[in-house]
Amino acid sequence: MERGDVAGTKGRGRRRTRVLVALVVLATLYAAGCSNDPYPPEAPGEKVLYGAFEEAPRSLDPATAYDTRAHAITGAVYATLLEYHFLKRPLELMPSLAVAMPEERALADGRVVYRFELRRDLLFADDACFELGGAGRRTREILAADVAFQIARLADPKVGSPVVEPFSHIEGFSDFAAALAARRESDAAFAARPVHEQYAAVGGIRGARTPSSHVLEIVLDKPYPQILYWLAMEFSTPVPWEAIAFYDGAEGRPRFDDHPVGAGPFVLSVYDKQARYTLVPNRNWHGLRHPEWQAPGTVYPSEGEPGDREAGLLEDAGRPLPFLDRVEVRRDKESIPRFNKFLQGYYDASGIIKESFDKVMQGDALSPEMQAMGIELGKAVSPDFFYLGFNMDDAVVGRAGGERSRKLRQAMSLVLDTEEFLRVFLNGRGLPAQSPVPPGIYGYEEDYRNPYRQVDLERARALMIEAGYPGGIDPRTGEALKLTFDSYNTSAQGLTQTRFYTHAWQQLGIDVQIDATNYNQFQEKLRNGAYQVFESGWVADYPDPENFLFLVWGEMGQSKSGGPNYANFADPRFDRLFLSMKTRENGPRRLAEIREMKEILARERPWIELFHREDYALYHGWVKNVKPMGLSMPTYQYRDVDVELRARRRHEWNRPVTWPAWVLLGAGIAILVPGIRTWRRERQ
Amino acid sequence: MAAYVIRRLAYGVGVVFGVLFLLFVLFFAVTEPDDIARKALGDKAPPEVLEIWKQNHGYDRPLWPWQDWGDNLLFDHYRKMLSFDFGLSDADDSPILDRIRAGMGPSLSLTVPLLVLSLVVAIPLSLVVAFFRETYIDRMGVFLCVLAMSVSTLLYIIGAQFLIGKLLRWYPISGFDSSLAMLPRFLALPLIVGVVSGLGSDVRFYRTVFLEESSRDFVRTARAKGAGESRIMLGHVLRNAMIPILTRVVLAIPFLFMGSILIESFFGIPGLGSMTVDAIQANDFSTLRTMVYIGSLLFVLGQVATDLSYGLVDPRVRFE
Repeated sequence: MERGDVAGTKGRGRRRTRVLVALVVLATLYAAGCSNDPYPPEAPGEKVLYGAFEEAPRSLDPATAYDTRAHAITGAVYATLLEYHFLKRPLELMPSLAVAMPEERALADGRVVYRFELRRDLLFADDACFELGGAGRRTREILAADVAFQIARLADPKVGSPVVEPFSHIEGFSDFAAALAARRESDAAFAARPVHEQYAAVGGIRGARTPSSHVLEIVLDKPYPQILYWLAMEFSTPVPWEAIAFYDGAEGRPRFDDHPVGAGPFVLSVYDKQARYTLVPNRNWHGLRHPEWQAPGTVYPSEGEPGDREAGLLEDAGRPLPFLDRVEVRRDKESIPRFNKFLQGYYDASGIIKESFDKVMQGDALSPEMQAMGIELGKAVSPDFFYLGFNMDDAVVGRAGGERSRKLRQAMSLVLDTEEFLRVFLNGRGLPAQSPVPPGIYGYEEDYRNPYRQVDLERARALMIEAGYPGGIDPRTGEALKLTFDSYNTSAQGLTQTRFYTHAWQQLGIDVQIDATNYNQFQEKLRNGAYQVFESGWVADYPDPENFLFLVWGEMGQSKSGGPNYANFADPRFDRLFLSMKTRENGPRRLAEIREMKEILARERPWIELFHREDYALYHGWVKNVKPMGLSMPTYQYRDVDVELRARRRHEWNRPVTWPAWVLLGAGIAILVPGIRTWRRERQ
Repeated sequence: MAAYVIRRLAYGVGVVFGVLFLLFVLFFAVTEPDDIARKALGDKAPPEVLEIWKQNHGYDRPLWPWQDWGDNLLFDHYRKMLSFDFGLSDADDSPILDRIRAGMGPSLSLTVPLLVLSLVVAIPLSLVVAFFRETYIDRMGVFLCVLAMSVSTLLYIIGAQFLIGKLLRWYPISGFDSSLAMLPRFLALPLIVGVVSGLGSDVRFYRTVFLEESSRDFVRTARAKGAGESRIMLGHVLRNAMIPILTRVVLAIPFLFMGSILIESFFGIPGLGSMTVDAIQANDFSTLRTMVYIGSLLFVLGQVATDLSYGLVDPRVRFE
């Protein structure tokens, strides 16, 4: 090789080495300069609450949004006539946009009128849609007509609201829907007009009338006091017609489904369904514009239930709301990374994932590790109810079998150990149900024990003998009594759970076959009455026992009216009690009626009550004013965070643990050294 | 060449039609319009609302042509896809085209650097391993490659999230932020996982290609003329191995737009891969068929582009 070539090769080699070193240095600097903090720096003193969501809601339209994911946003963005008290339990309604709780007036013909007066000078959040009402307008006053407009939207068949049934108690609700559909079908020009014009042309809903700009009267065909709960939900929030007309998805405008325009304490300032959403205080919210009103729901409550003061829940009493400057919610689809980020302090709250349950919980309390981190556990029994049901129309397990079938149902009920079920399948997160009424709902009694929901194998066997099935043998066939368990859960976990029940019944000698199908086939079976034993559940829409006990009201029978009474239970006494209890105020008489209804259910056993779910939520110590509502109600306006404590904790908890990197580096060197030696030898 | 391209595109049309048919059959074999409606509206939605939803989305029509020749879901499925009328998502009624536009940026911000980094890392490593064939470096290299190929991508993801995100705390465990200041922070971990998880197969493939080229006559000739080993590897072997490298790269390019299903899902990157997974989980037929359709179109176009690129790098290649 020539000398020049050698020098050139050496020079190129040096250059390459320098480039390599520079790259390594750059990479190291980049790595060192990075942090696992997923957020850009906050403004000094800014109070931000950080959360995560798994999936974006389908729709934020308050007429159709009916899941907790959507309520997390709509509950903060929309305000309602009434709302729930943050601290009082059982949940208590109070006025929100309304000046006071409505006056109730019973008319001679059986109709009932609720009269709401809206506060004056309430404004919608600023939005471009209001330009439709005049150039340069960004907002306008909320009127009673805006609530009536939204109720008309609920009736509109094109909107497809899932809550048509409860609102159809409003006089003229169904007539309006039918008239609207007929006009649209017969007149294409009418169908092309903006919906608020269509509603006006049809004449609106008779029972949602506005005698003056700030008064709304709701007229019901017959007494239905539960309507007040529905009027505390976003379904009946005031909605400006401008928003519906403007946000139609045309010409690059978003759809109303994705662009809420409300009057709640927050506005949705960023909404990227795939990545994040941000809520910031709504400067037009009456709590911020008129702090002098001290309106309910705009200042932190000064009274709650016993124990709230000791829990520090009354420390902010009387302070104006909201406390937060921003709510930042990021999409995190996978549960493990989501939970790890909670443990790093980057999310302020979290559920408990099953993979980490043993690490987080020890018995009923948090593990010492979690306690040392200052994490707090929020437990709340959900207002729900899961049960196994018998088809009372069935010849073997139903009413046709009379006393014999009743004793069979009682026996089957006595051998199901719900506590064991909860321990095995739900990490103990549930409360064995004694009746359909869960804790937190009027009529729930902690001391009540259902005589047929205490595990007692001997008594169950005795009942089997009395039922004419000694040892589970059906005298007609001389073999084990055969029943079918109809399920729509075909997953491996679902089948394992179902086998838990069937194994329990095997102790009585009953042979229960599992017939698992998809949901539609299961629905088909329900329609045809081709089922014996089934599993189902119900989550409350509002905190009233009526919302649970109607599931066994005769009128709701699946075979009779296609209703959710899948057990097809019909008992004249129970039905009379139900109708009486439904319209009665909470009090001793109502409680007595509920007790009698529970006794009828316990004796007749159309159901085997299983459990009410228990939600466990974890909160970091810097999050203040956390009190689970049970129902899906976001309470961002009451939340507060200690940002300094959070910053300190994040710093402490995110110091790198470097030993695994050294181990890996050592392993790498051990592999590389012989390679380098080989390299040098080969080059020589 | 034109005849060749037309023939290949004609084959492609057949493939796309077949894919669309298979998707339709498989999807409706395991689900029903009622399931799609119920998934979209929730379990509490009353039957009349489900019916309205099905009418609004066209799922109240029969599936097959023999049930109604004029108005059935199968023909409508083909008509919409072939006219690129992707319509609205079944899950949330948002325009699918908007979602694709929104998802393409995050997907490309991951897949383009991933492709470049993979090439930058894998090709030099393969050259080194091929250069030191039959030595410790080669044997250890092949062993590590096989080991790397045997590990599931999922394990790389979980391992990297644990080691780098949870213990070393260099980067966020998951998430995405498209701002320039934050983007590198969120992409670093997915890129490390993407490069490392693909390294085994890449290095093995390129090593084989380089070894094959190394045994050619022109390499022996260059060596006989006294050319240095570095020059031989970089100037002769690498240049002549461009066809298989190009095939791999050109085939990969169309799929950059589709994103990476696993990495996007586990790192919370809101790209098209993640969108496809969401569509599967949500029984969102209209989004799923759009993604499958676009995927099959890109595959066909990628194949044709690969064939054409051969002619560019090797003038000896003729299209007949």
